[in-house]
Amino acid sequence: MRIRFALATALALLALVGCNRQTQAPYFEGKTITIVVGYKPGGGYDATARLLSRYLPKYIPGTPTVIVQNMPGANSLIAANYVYAQAKPDGLTLGTFNRNLPIGQLLKVEGVKFDMLKFAWIGSAASETTVLAIRNDLPYKTFADMKNAKDPIVVGATGPGANTYDFPLLLKEFLGVNLKLVSGYSSSADIMLAVERKEADARAGSYTSIAPFIQRGLVHPVIRSRASEPEIANLPTDESLAPNPRAKAMMALRSSPEVVGRPYVMPPGTPDNLVQILRDAFTKAIADKDLVAEAKKADMSLNYVTADEAVAVMKEVLNQPADIVEEFRKYVKFGE
Amino acid sequence: MIESALAGLVLILQWKALAFMLLGILLGFWVGLLPGLGGVTTLALMLPFIYAMKPHEAMAFLLGMHSVVATTGDITSVLFGIPGESTTAAIILDGHSMAKKGQAGRALGAALSSSLLGALVGALALALAIPVVRPLVLAFGSPELFMLAIVGLAFIASLSGQGARGMVRGFIAGGLGLLLATVGQDPQAGVARFTFGTLYLWQGLDIVAVLVGIFAVPEILDLVVRGSSIAGDAPVGQVRKGVLEGVKDTFHHFGLAIRCSLIGTFIGITPGLGGPVAQWMAYGHAVQSARTPEERKGFGRGDVRGVIGPGAASNSKEGGSLIPTIAFGVPGSASMAVILGGFFLMGLVPGPDMLTKNLPITYSMVWTIVLANIITVIACLIFLNRLASLTNVPGTLLVPVILVLIFIGAYTANNQYGDLIVMLVCGAIGWLMVVAGWPRAPFVLGLVLGKIAENYLYISVARYHASWLTRPIVLALFAIAVVVICYPIWQARRTRRSEHA
Repeated sequence: MRIRFALATALALLALVGCNRQTQAPYFEGKTITIVVGYKPGGGYDATARLLSRYLPKYIPGTPTVIVQNMPGANSLIAANYVYAQAKPDGLTLGTFNRNLPIGQLLKVEGVKFDMLKFAWIGSAASETTVLAIRNDLPYKTFADMKNAKDPIVVGATGPGANTYDFPLLLKEFLGVNLKLVSGYSSSADIMLAVERKEADARAGSYTSIAPFIQRGLVHPVIRSRASEPEIANLPTDESLAPNPRAKAMMALRSSPEVVGRPYVMPPGTPDNLVQILRDAFTKAIADKDLVAEAKKADMSLNYVTADEAVAVMKEVLNQPADIVEEFRKYVKFGE
Repeated sequence: MIESALAGLVLILQWKALAFMLLGILLGFWVGLLPGLGGVTTLALMLPFIYAMKPHEAMAFLLGMHSVVATTGDITSVLFGIPGESTTAAIILDGHSMAKKGQAGRALGAALSSSLLGALVGALALALAIPVVRPLVLAFGSPELFMLAIVGLAFIASLSGQGARGMVRGFIAGGLGLLLATVGQDPQAGVARFTFGTLYLWQGLDIVAVLVGIFAVPEILDLVVRGSSIAGDAPVGQVRKGVLEGVKDTFHHFGLAIRCSLIGTFIGITPGLGGPVAQWMAYGHAVQSARTPEERKGFGRGDVRGVIGPGAASNSKEGGSLIPTIAFGVPGSASMAVILGGFFLMGLVPGPDMLTKNLPITYSMVWTIVLANIITVIACLIFLNRLASLTNVPGTLLVPVILVLIFIGAYTANNQYGDLIVMLVCGAIGWLMVVAGWPRAPFVLGLVLGKIAENYLYISVARYHASWLTRPIVLALFAIAVVVICYPIWQARRTRRSEHA
């Protein structure tokens, strides 16, 4: 009996000491943070998450382990639903999803079981700019030249909901360019090959993915979306050419999620102090000299978009008048 | 060109590059062997490690790993009837049947030697094609790719059973495959097709989960019902012998191995057709090599030619798929897409430069494929006897292990329970097909070609209206498709006539 009591006391003491130690040691010490990626390994979202997972620990007190978990499916709706409703709000889960999820929520797509505004936002690791690039051997040097084209200009695309399709579609509908959209290519690289063999004349896509082909002298960009990169700052934007407010609203709505190109969120209800630690870590990790060098090698350009900016974009997308949403629905579908 | 080839060899023989290649081979060996652990995923996981390497070292590492995955994937397919990779399923039909007849050693010998031969042919094709590669790839537009898919579908004729009844069953199975390929969000209108309100089906059916179900589940049921080992009552000695015999088989059917290697290379060069297609077309071609109806019946029941064909094609494809990756920056397969990411990390810009300024590096890739395959096959030959003995292990001991492997294998497709449901449903379909004597190959062919055929047909019509039908390569491919369909019919008629005479 006495032995048992002694043991119990010892255990209680140990537990106390343990607790004590825990309150003093950083929360994240010895823990593992999981970044849930809404796509399979190999793509841009995955590559960004894997790069960050190696630099974030350095800037989080207690240097936790950061791992990447792929949860692909339904254009990352599955991953977003998981992080929204199932993951614990204990600061140990981060999610990075399709930048077009707010569009999905706006259009009330079946399967959306989250509210983008209720996530605990960390921010975005990068902005993406969509450009339309056209083959160099064609007589169209600028977007103005293209507007005067008599024969249709063939634009290769993957499918509705992707920037390869939606961006040129709005140019065609609202700026009256003679474009012919051909969709069904399996990837953006596949479209590039079609451009090279002259099956397609132009293609839209994120500037980072087209840049190597611009450098190689195959295509040149003629028009871009709102977010920008230094090399293409001088190009006209689709919104600046919009003939009326309605057209401008459509274009703005399509392109605003691109500012939050690589969104990072935590489950709703994650304690503010933990969210703040992660925000600070993102700010510092993305500015890290070595990370910048690595990203440059991989042709990725990261820039931290703060949580406030990201939430502002979400609000802009989600607080649209009903008539704009109905009009937008005619052109744009939720996709990859 | 010769100097560049030699310079490439020197690059790869430096001790560091060689060491990285061996490390890659070691990793690829296990990845291939374990079903479900895909080559693509592993490549993506390995990318961060190449930052510190030089371009030729990094490529030796990645390609070394990549080139052996298909080879060791064949081993799993032959021994257990579980596709080790989505690109090694066709070899199951005859390879695993041989294992069940106690000829695992011979089947593995044939698979490995044909893999080696295929890899060498693919690498040689890559080396020779370098000067002409750009016009070659550019000649294949969407209409040509659509017709190529039709040629692939035409092979259903030779993959079906004989007679009108067999043919009808084959085409129904193929049609079912095509139908299942339409599941998911379509790229023309963005409509979700056959998703039954589930998010899981948006992305379509995952080929790995389907293949594991269709092929592995019936084998496991069979093993449980028989209650014996995979090789049945075949004596241990017989199973373990035979490796050399399998190697000899490959050289006996040398012409077939070379032709199937060329099919694989060609499919690899054409971006957009995807990895799993090559082996099935090669298998269809191997079946065509049967001269009599009796021989034809032997396919699917353990004809060594059904092992040699896909074995050669699945490895030669890799050399081929490097071509569009290097010359255009357009990956020929999912793995190549990841390797392309590696290119950018190394500061190598795919395109004409790789064929001129950076030619030695391009050739060092060819050499990596050659060396990695030779090393793997030699290493495998040493272990092969022991591996073959696994087919003598009692089923009661083997089944639990295989079950774990196939569940993990299917689950790693998307890490979702839906993968397991797809696997089980396809397992039931596969089992029913086996029991009722319906061929499974046309079903798979329809599934892997369905999306390709649909998308390229749409693009062809949208872009060219009807004028694409008169393009010379399209017409030539159409003629080939007609020949492929008519050949078995003509063959059947000829044998009937000779029987009457």
